[in-house]
Amino acid sequence: MRVPVSWLQDYVPLEAPLDELATKLSVSAAEVEGIERRGVPDRDGNLGLFRVGRVLEAAKHPNADRLQLCRVDVGEGEPLQIVCGAWNFGAGATVAVALPGAVLPGGLELEARKVRGETSHGMILAEDEVELGTDHTGIMVLDDQFEPGTPLADVLPIVDDVLLVEPTGNRPDLLAVYGVAREVAALYDLERAPMPGRDPERAGEEPVDVQVEDLVGCPRYIGRLFRDVQIGPSPVWLKSRLLAAGMRPISNIVDITNYAMLALGNPLHAFDFATLRGGRIVVRRAWTGEKMRTLDGVERELTPEDLMIADAERSVALAGIMGGEDTEIGEATTDVLLEAANFEPFTIFRSSERLRLRTEGSNRWEKGVDPYLAEPAAMLATQLFVELAGARWVGHTDVQGDLPERPAVPYRPERADRLIGIETPRDEQHGLLRRLGFDVEGERVTVPTWRARDVTREVDVIEEIARFRLEDVPFTLPERRAMFGSLSREQKLRRRVEDVLVGLGFTETYTPSLRPDDETTWKLPEPISVELSALRTRLLPSLVEAAGRNAEVGERGIGLFEIARVYLPAGELPDEHLRVAGIVGATSGGSKDLSRRFTRPSRRSRPSSPPRIRCSIRARRPKRPPARSASSTRACSRAHGEYSSSSSRSSSASRATPSPMRT
Amino acid sequence: MSEPGDTVAAVDAEALQREALSAIEAVATATELDELRVRYLGRRSDLKQALRQVRDRETGMALNAAREAIEEAVAGRQAQLERVELDRKLTEDVVDVTLPGEPLPLGHLHPITQVRRLVEDAFLGLGYEIRDDREVETVEFNFDKLAFAPTHPSRSSRDTFFFDDSYVLRTETSPSQIHILEEKEPPIYMVSLGRVYRRDAITATRYPIFHQFEGLAVDRGLTLADLKGTLLHVMRQLYGPERRVRFRTHFFPFTEPSIEPDVSCGICGGEGCRTCKYSGWIEMGGAGMVDPRVFENVGLDPEEWSGFAFGCGLERAAQLRHDIPDIRLLWEGDLRVLRQF
Repeated sequence: MRVPVSWLQDYVPLEAPLDELATKLSVSAAEVEGIERRGVPDRDGNLGLFRVGRVLEAAKHPNADRLQLCRVDVGEGEPLQIVCGAWNFGAGATVAVALPGAVLPGGLELEARKVRGETSHGMILAEDEVELGTDHTGIMVLDDQFEPGTPLADVLPIVDDVLLVEPTGNRPDLLAVYGVAREVAALYDLERAPMPGRDPERAGEEPVDVQVEDLVGCPRYIGRLFRDVQIGPSPVWLKSRLLAAGMRPISNIVDITNYAMLALGNPLHAFDFATLRGGRIVVRRAWTGEKMRTLDGVERELTPEDLMIADAERSVALAGIMGGEDTEIGEATTDVLLEAANFEPFTIFRSSERLRLRTEGSNRWEKGVDPYLAEPAAMLATQLFVELAGARWVGHTDVQGDLPERPAVPYRPERADRLIGIETPRDEQHGLLRRLGFDVEGERVTVPTWRARDVTREVDVIEEIARFRLEDVPFTLPERRAMFGSLSREQKLRRRVEDVLVGLGFTETYTPSLRPDDETTWKLPEPISVELSALRTRLLPSLVEAAGRNAEVGERGIGLFEIARVYLPAGELPDEHLRVAGIVGATSGGSKDLSRRFTRPSRRSRPSSPPRIRCSIRARRPKRPPARSASSTRACSRAHGEYSSSSSRSSSASRATPSPMRT
Repeated sequence: MSEPGDTVAAVDAEALQREALSAIEAVATATELDELRVRYLGRRSDLKQALRQVRDRETGMALNAAREAIEEAVAGRQAQLERVELDRKLTEDVVDVTLPGEPLPLGHLHPITQVRRLVEDAFLGLGYEIRDDREVETVEFNFDKLAFAPTHPSRSSRDTFFFDDSYVLRTETSPSQIHILEEKEPPIYMVSLGRVYRRDAITATRYPIFHQFEGLAVDRGLTLADLKGTLLHVMRQLYGPERRVRFRTHFFPFTEPSIEPDVSCGICGGEGCRTCKYSGWIEMGGAGMVDPRVFENVGLDPEEWSGFAFGCGLERAAQLRHDIPDIRLLWEGDLRVLRQF
């Protein structure tokens, strides 16, 4: 979750240094993976070179048909002559100006230069040039209330810090700027603003036809109808917040649903009401064999496990995951149906999993969104629809199943002390819990709705205390009443075998226990690659490959061993046990030739010609278990043999092979 | 009694000497040489008997000259034979301890094995038992009994290698907690080390197969402070006595409260550098107090027993200890790499 700090400050009066905030959040709430500074570089007075300007004159450039030549008041000295390629403004417009010397977000430094014979002293800015939006069809036209010369940073968020917050799976409430603000307020004991969003006056009483056939999958569905919606781009402040939070602005209606989700954590969806057949919403499971084309243009095959948003005739959205193409908001949309619902996590998880479709929405739903959040989210979106898209709010319905009650948990503060290992006075514990939204009455704690899935037992409440006290917990060791702890016979043997082999000049290697293996029934139905597709029944093939790779880079005197498990098909679970395998190879002998150590010269041989093993590694890749081919390549298979670590398990074949590694 | 002259006349000193010398020349072994010595120089030899009977000076001198010549030939031949025998021994024997040895290069333990031993030794010192359990695990042990929610992302086949609905490649060493809790009564102090599997693409920092160690302590009255102290001890054993440890809150299905331990960065000493992403701290794994649900799943009373558990990656520890830039190096068996450890 990307949390723009300027947005966070809407909800909590944060003054602490960001580094300190990041550490506190990381320790007590959710990891802050970093702080990203975005927008205009804030150094060497660079911000001072971005100003509000007023266009005094604007006329066609004398030497270029597509350019305008402007004179712009930037609040000091003579008005500046600036050449501009945009035509969406004229004399009198209030604009954003970057002066010569200014450094843009991409690192480009402006300078006064001639454009077709006329000097341009700076630049009139479009929103994409300062990372406030993606539009480059014209420059930003600002509100006329701003005086020329005003620092642009006071008017627009041209510089912002973004906290990269990674909440754990139990904290979907922190996948929202307001949720993070709640934690910040508790950490610093600050006053927190009420949730954003106020319902405006309703401008009509039209019925909204919502039928929820599956109240388990969809315990709540708020539907709101809007008329006379004017689709257009969002204002710069909204676009810049979406961009800073990592979402692309699309159009005001879509942007507002995304904004409300990022602000509060409840995903919303907007339908083009005119495309809903029968003007109705039905929440139901998909029919067998039903298909639907989602927003990304993919035709999805559905199963009766999938929860769908449908109209009178067909499915129009994969509930909680993605909308449908047919009912998408477009430029011609005038009537909008807003969905502020709540979906059951496992339903969404299963469909998103099967369809391999992960979205901002599904990511929140599958972690469990507070069903009481649907209403504030609907209110925030409604307020912005009316304010920013000129919409008339004409209809409302709220279908509810059994919404869960806030859990009431018996709680003993002294039990928290016993488990944490440090004393926290009862009053301090209660104060902390209240700051986090818990209600405390005597020995009972009532959990806020946004934590109701996560905090259901006494130990969960204890964690709330513990996470705020982690830095103070002392370092102690358990008081032991009984001591045990020595290596088992097999563990000792393993170490000895490792040491002996190293002493013999072997180097230990690790190779993957997954291989392309045809000798086992333990194959992965969905491997990530053929190379890692089945549990191995032998170590040797992996070692032969490793030796081969070494030979290819010209390594002489290869001696490798591995101690690892093999997985032999046996009953319900495979028989897993440790084996040791070694491989020796030499290309030309010499003192590095390890293989010499495993051969004994015969009594009759002459000193001038010591017997030598030639392990041509690839040529000798054993087709069958090496022990059985011992007679033909005796010396090689001796070095190739695998030995089971437990003698009771070692096969007769491996025992028949003379073992240089016997310990 | 026979005539002495007759007998003496029978010994021709010169002929005897010729015969003896050529015989000595021809022998090949010390045994044969000894036989000849007895035949020509023994007490009953013709030469010795003739010498005993000799009366005149001339005969005596001739016989004595022959005896000396033969004795010399025997001694010479003996020395010759001994030299040949020594030569043979020098060249033919399997071991000659008097010769300088060939240099014997030592092999190397894999860095993961080295770290595994360090971890084992650190916990043996604290009185923990060491174990490992099966890698092909049941969904019941890998998820259900560890209280993973049905929607936990690890249960997805995007993250985990499933064989079918019931069997997986274990995603962590945590099932060892259930195995030991079902096998024996507390107090329990154990650490489990082994291979685990996750469905990650192979990159410089991730490999679908890796190693973990998982600790579990269950006793009466264990606290979060005991966990903090235990991890501090182990981290200092692994990374050096000047290291500091801090905890961050986290979430794991089978612990509550859950935390992630960080160890202070060894490169910058906590000042902030590239290795620690300028935080001064390095993530070590996961830990927490055993969730009461886990105790209930194995039939223990969470009011009576408390415990803590923790898990860390061995690859990560090896990388941090040796500054290994790419995790794939640990799996390639490249001797040029492995010889550096």
